[in-house]
Amino acid sequence: MFKQFKTKNLFFCAALGINAQNADEWSKYAEKQMRGDRSQSKIEMTIKTPNWERTLEIDSDVEGKNLALSTITSPAKEKGIRTLRIDNNMWNYFPKLKRKVAVSSSMLLASWMGSDFTNDDILKASSMAEDYQHKFLPNKKLNGKDYRVIENMAKTNAKVMWPKIVTYASPTDCLPRQYHYFDKENKLKRVLTMDEIKNFDGHKVPSFWTMQPQDDFKKKTTIKYKTMSFKTKFESQHFTQKNLTDY
Amino acid sequence: MKQLFPIFFLFITTPLMAEVKSEFSGNVEVQARHSINNDEAKEAPLLQEWNQEQFYLAYGNINGKFDFGNSRFETNVFGRYSQSNLYQDQTPSPNYIAPQIFSFPNRLVAREVAKLSQQDEGDNYRSEMILNKMYYEWSYEEHRFMFGRIYINYGGGEIFNPINPFNQPTGLTSISQVAQGNDGLNFTFYKSDNHTINFYFLGDKSLQGYEGQIDKTLWAHGEFQFSEKLQFDYVIGEDQRRHKVGGQARYSLSESMIFLQTLYQTAYTDDLNEVESHHLWDLMLGYDQQITNKWHLRAEGGHQKKNKFASLTSINDRFLPTEYFIAIANQYEIHPLVKLGGTIINDVKTGFTYFITRNTYSFAKSSEVEIFAYLPMAKGSDIENQAQKLVTTDVGLALRTFF
Repeated sequence: MFKQFKTKNLFFCAALGINAQNADEWSKYAEKQMRGDRSQSKIEMTIKTPNWERTLEIDSDVEGKNLALSTITSPAKEKGIRTLRIDNNMWNYFPKLKRKVAVSSSMLLASWMGSDFTNDDILKASSMAEDYQHKFLPNKKLNGKDYRVIENMAKTNAKVMWPKIVTYASPTDCLPRQYHYFDKENKLKRVLTMDEIKNFDGHKVPSFWTMQPQDDFKKKTTIKYKTMSFKTKFESQHFTQKNLTDY
Repeated sequence: MKQLFPIFFLFITTPLMAEVKSEFSGNVEVQARHSINNDEAKEAPLLQEWNQEQFYLAYGNINGKFDFGNSRFETNVFGRYSQSNLYQDQTPSPNYIAPQIFSFPNRLVAREVAKLSQQDEGDNYRSEMILNKMYYEWSYEEHRFMFGRIYINYGGGEIFNPINPFNQPTGLTSISQVAQGNDGLNFTFYKSDNHTINFYFLGDKSLQGYEGQIDKTLWAHGEFQFSEKLQFDYVIGEDQRRHKVGGQARYSLSESMIFLQTLYQTAYTDDLNEVESHHLWDLMLGYDQQITNKWHLRAEGGHQKKNKFASLTSINDRFLPTEYFIAIANQYEIHPLVKLGGTIINDVKTGFTYFITRNTYSFAKSSEVEIFAYLPMAKGSDIENQAQKLVTTDVGLALRTFF
């Protein structure tokens, strides 16, 4: 009977209760858990190829959808490089030369420090819940596991990098396990896999992410959330030009 | 060198004196370059009579930063050693200019009152050590005050950045990890989220050979975010005995950014030492776009009025040897460790064209190797522009590491 229940796309997800049949609610729930109103994280990013790997450590501060500040804390070559985003304006700051550089919004799609993540991913410039329209697709089984599948199509006025993202969410905790990113030609460009759910300040967050570009399977980038706080209160001057240049 | 000892003492003992958060960082780079001279540079009046030479360069920075309360003390020691037969004495003909180009910026302090440096020259080498940054900073709410030798780094131009005379852009040079210091004080007022104003009061003895008076600089630079897409920078003041006024407008398009800079400089405001001068003006239009996630494009074009009284044998101020120019710079990441860069510059008035390629390979945790080449592609037709004849053909290798 349960099999029949699943095939009718009626997964029961306790966290969402009666909203489990609303694709918007799945998206909102995931964003509330993983992003919250604000967050402060310490991230370890590793870029891997068959022959080498490189690790960067980053402090990431995010307030709502419009404010973000990231600081590289290791290795020495990039240490101190900061990026501030206020709405759609972005600045990089290079403390060794005291140089602040305004960057165009097209830089949001740029590879972040040679990784498979973009500035948009690191600075959390787009919101899956607000910038996309959501609808369920038929459930799918991937690697022997069942997933609730949600198609997220960019709203016409949304300033986002990806016109279409497909979410594969766990039916047990309602959290996404994979995002599939499609370009304007509806070609799958990259897959983000999220594992190791941890509880940070009452928020359930996948703490280990793997970004796999679809045009180069020899290369991938992983992100490990070492710490994450959703209770941090940022000072009023935290996301400002002054603080950006105060490193 | 004696001047440096008290500073080193302060540098080392400050962390012991108070609750201080300290941080040290730096980099070291070595370069080897093979250079081929331009035949036209060998003729009068330039008399650069050499054919092919090797040029070796090693330079590095050690930066120390100490934070205590709302205050900060920061200093940077820059050291450079260069070796080449081009340093050999050529009396009575003029000194060879190529080493000045290869090691640009030669002046590590743009506005200099105190000579906090040690220099040594031999038959075929030149070495120097300089404190090119050393300041005290006090920061409180929306104000910041700095005193000492400071970096002044603003403006969107990477190849030509006329609104900032206090730090020459190094987009075309082979030295990248350096900024110029400036002696004086800076007050920054963060008026609002959209408006920041910087006031500078600087001194300089270099304009008259360090023997005369201190030339003052009174300068204001503001950044005003007019709308989400439009930002203005404005500059106005007196600097090196000229009145200067200018600005930058930057407009963000959906997938790119354009910016326009201009600066007007009057002739010298006095006739001290009866130095001749005339007014100068510069204009620059820039475009910046991230075309794909691996490919970055930057284009800059503009005009710098030629200073007919500037010395041919001194490359202290501007590196760009063109009057009217278009430059297109591409950078492409073919692998997370490998970046290819190519810049082509054309003087639209003379036809002079110059290509620079810089390709880096990262290895270990914080090291990289760079292969670079500077290639004149087309000779300029304007014999008046002697600076273009000084451009040599170079290939080189650099190894740099950060700590």
